[in-house]
Amino acid sequence: MGKEECKTLLDALNKVIACYRHLVVTVGGTSDSQHLREELKKTRKKAQELAVANRNKLTTLLRDNTASKEDRAEYERLWVIFSTCVEFLEVDMKKTLEIGQEFPLNVPKRYLIQSGMSGGTSAVAARAMSAQNMKYEADSNIDVADLKELENEINQVGELMMEMEMKVNVANWTVEAKQDPGAELKSTISVGASSVGMISVNDETKSACDPTRVLAVVIFCAFLFIAVILAVLVIKLS
Amino acid sequence: MTIKHCDYSQHYRPRMAFTKKIEALVLEMQDPDTGIKTQTQRLVITTIPHAMTGHDILEWIINRLQILDEEAQNIGNLVVQYGYIYPLQEPKNLILRPDGSLYRFQTPYFWPTQQWPAEETDYAIYLAKKNIRKKGVLEDYEKENYNILNIRLNHKWDFVIMQAKEQYRAGKERKKADRVVFEFQERAYWLVHRPPPGAPNVIDYGLDRFSDPNENQVTQKKTFDVYRREIIFNQHSLMKSRVKSSVSLGGIVKYCEQYFNHDPIMTGCLPSNPWLTDDTQFWDLNAPLSEVPTKLRVERWTFSFRELLSDPRGRQDFQLFLRKEFSGENLAFWEACEDLKYGDQSKVKEKAEEVYKTFLAPGARRWINIDGKTMDITVKGLKHPHRYVLDAAQSHIYMLMKKDSYGRYMKSPIFKETLNKAILPEPTKISESKFPFNKRHRRSSPSPVILRQLEQEARAKAAATGPVDITQLCKFTSPIPHLTVYTGFCEPTSPTGTALCDFPPPSPGLMTLPNSTACPSPICVAIESTPASERKFEPSSISTQFLTIAESTEMSVSSDSSTAVVEETKQPSHKSRVALSFSRFLKRGCSNSPIFATLSPKCPAVNSGRVQPMNGEPQHQPQHHHHHHHHHQGQQKTKKTNNFFQIKVDIPSECRIYPIDSEDEEEEDCPNSVKNNTVKEVICPWETITEDGKAG
Repeated sequence: MGKEECKTLLDALNKVIACYRHLVVTVGGTSDSQHLREELKKTRKKAQELAVANRNKLTTLLRDNTASKEDRAEYERLWVIFSTCVEFLEVDMKKTLEIGQEFPLNVPKRYLIQSGMSGGTSAVAARAMSAQNMKYEADSNIDVADLKELENEINQVGELMMEMEMKVNVANWTVEAKQDPGAELKSTISVGASSVGMISVNDETKSACDPTRVLAVVIFCAFLFIAVILAVLVIKLS
Repeated sequence: MTIKHCDYSQHYRPRMAFTKKIEALVLEMQDPDTGIKTQTQRLVITTIPHAMTGHDILEWIINRLQILDEEAQNIGNLVVQYGYIYPLQEPKNLILRPDGSLYRFQTPYFWPTQQWPAEETDYAIYLAKKNIRKKGVLEDYEKENYNILNIRLNHKWDFVIMQAKEQYRAGKERKKADRVVFEFQERAYWLVHRPPPGAPNVIDYGLDRFSDPNENQVTQKKTFDVYRREIIFNQHSLMKSRVKSSVSLGGIVKYCEQYFNHDPIMTGCLPSNPWLTDDTQFWDLNAPLSEVPTKLRVERWTFSFRELLSDPRGRQDFQLFLRKEFSGENLAFWEACEDLKYGDQSKVKEKAEEVYKTFLAPGARRWINIDGKTMDITVKGLKHPHRYVLDAAQSHIYMLMKKDSYGRYMKSPIFKETLNKAILPEPTKISESKFPFNKRHRRSSPSPVILRQLEQEARAKAAATGPVDITQLCKFTSPIPHLTVYTGFCEPTSPTGTALCDFPPPSPGLMTLPNSTACPSPICVAIESTPASERKFEPSSISTQFLTIAESTEMSVSSDSSTAVVEETKQPSHKSRVALSFSRFLKRGCSNSPIFATLSPKCPAVNSGRVQPMNGEPQHQPQHHHHHHHHHQGQQKTKKTNNFFQIKVDIPSECRIYPIDSEDEEEEDCPNSVKNNTVKEVICPWETITEDGKAG
């Protein structure tokens, strides 16, 4: 169904944007690096692809006048989510451009802000790209070279949004949210329909708990074992 | 699509221009050699690098900017307030503590900018994320904001939830330490941009501009007129006089040097600064109208004429001097102009009229000597009086006083006496013991209402008992044009009456006082023709005074002290009478003013006698004579009307040359219309027909 596809696409876009946000936050800080810039670039590209795909899908759906009222409402809701996503992305891209210009990496006297971040962001990028590992193949001056492309891409995204608005007439304010306030609390544990990230999320949660859990289990077992041995000794002695 | 934040040309004149400066400073702090030394922060399990102590930051700022402790503290506070550095241990307390508390730099993404103010969507996402992380435990104001945003952003709420979840999950991909740091960063950012209740909102810079300040806004159609005005404007700008900066700077330096000793802040003030020593002598000594001014104050009067005029005590002294020189009307006129300019504008018309009657009208009581052109302009302007209508005349008089009288004043004995009497106060002795029981006995200063009353009384007294000044204007009392003539005392005299002293000495035995050079006659006429409403009973007293004056002037010029007062009082009334029939005068093209002017410094006492408030018409002469006898008999009576009209004076020949209007005919009827004993005020040339009709 068109709706399901839309939803998945939208979720994917959402995820990529969230990852992009994480990446942008570290630009200019001490965990900045060439790799980060490359990650940014790749994530950006992916986001744009998804955005275009989403837009196409949604415009066709919305243009379809034969849809029922509920469908139409649903499509409009998805549309609003989509447009907000794209706006989000655009702002982040602009900020990347500005911070990137301020913090070129290879200039000798420019120091990065000691923001406390020290780790890499490759895992986040991998999540965004839905890949297991990130491969880095860019040149060493990507931080500067990329900026020009970035500008173009920002313009493209802007045009995308303009086109969106022109083609489809959706009243934002009429859309009602499906989620209640506080809905985020309920569904963090149950992952929901996001198929792409589901497994990895599950793994995440498991893997997050695992070390402590394993440790607890081991200690418990150890105590049990000692208790059993003591009991046996006592019985033996008595 | 959401309405984006419009730039509105903010970048032309950015409000938050300081951000660039702070950023530069923060960047310098990062230098591993010359920047701030960092240490690691130890949390429960994790250690996070790049923490600094507040003390280190302060030291670095002091060394780098070469400033003092206080200023460095200020700058440090600013840097923390705007979120470039955030505290780790007390996140809500955005100040820079000079001790060992830890701080960390904020990542550039979260630096404050004007282009991207903190968005509501972002805030909603942040709150949702926090909700997830803390499992619903938010602060109260955060909960409120959450609810508000839910309502406001309801259409985007799905997106908010989705993003929050995704960001939360993506965050888990990071190292634990980085995750913690990110949380700190976000919290710090939102504490700055959405401060909790009670904390100041530093990001708020006021309203945004709606137009580009550099853009040429005028888009009017370029008509011929527009261009013409533009050309005129530019021509005027070219003609503007310019002062060389060397000259103006020299002027500033000179001013500072001259006033250095007089500035209580630069050089201390004697006796002492009341705020420091609780000794209010300084204020008492420098009160606006103090008996004995201080030496410094008197010295200031010598600096410039403006200084003298702006000091009320100086003006008083100057007034005394001018009286001696018989040019007190100049200062009085100047003061009247100031009153017009700065006083109650609802009374502008009345004030203008009075000023005209007292000072400008030909044959006015206190006629000022300004050139014909200025007089023309002023009179014309007085038709539609406004605040600045007397400006030309005022500046003329001002320059006259400055160039002429001021110099003489400086050399005069009056000034020298004041200078000698001026005191140099002693510096206050500061008592050693500062016992609380030794508190200085304080009393509250007198209420301004009372002060003003006292001032007015003093002025009235001075006016009543001061040196006989014919040109003295009793301006302290409310001028009631109609009444003034009738009042016997000097106060309520309105500025009416021409300079009575202008008349040549009367020939003795002339009851009719033929010398009333034209002036009285108009008054007479005026009086006769004033509407009944203007009649008051008071004229009687005046008329009696007139009578007595007439009598006395017959005898001699001098008047004894008892009548001096009377004379004084009569003089104004005389003058007022004289000035009253001003319109007639004008119609006659009366050029009496020059005559008056020349005559004014002369025998005042005598002149008072001249003033015949009533008709000085030649035609009335015989009648005057007749009435005068009658008037003699009626001397004792207080019947004003009779007396009033009966004082007739011969109009000297000079007056007769003036064209005589129908007023004169009316005047002929005067004696008959004794009942119409209302003093007509001087009619200003622009006044309405009602009076004109009577005046002819």
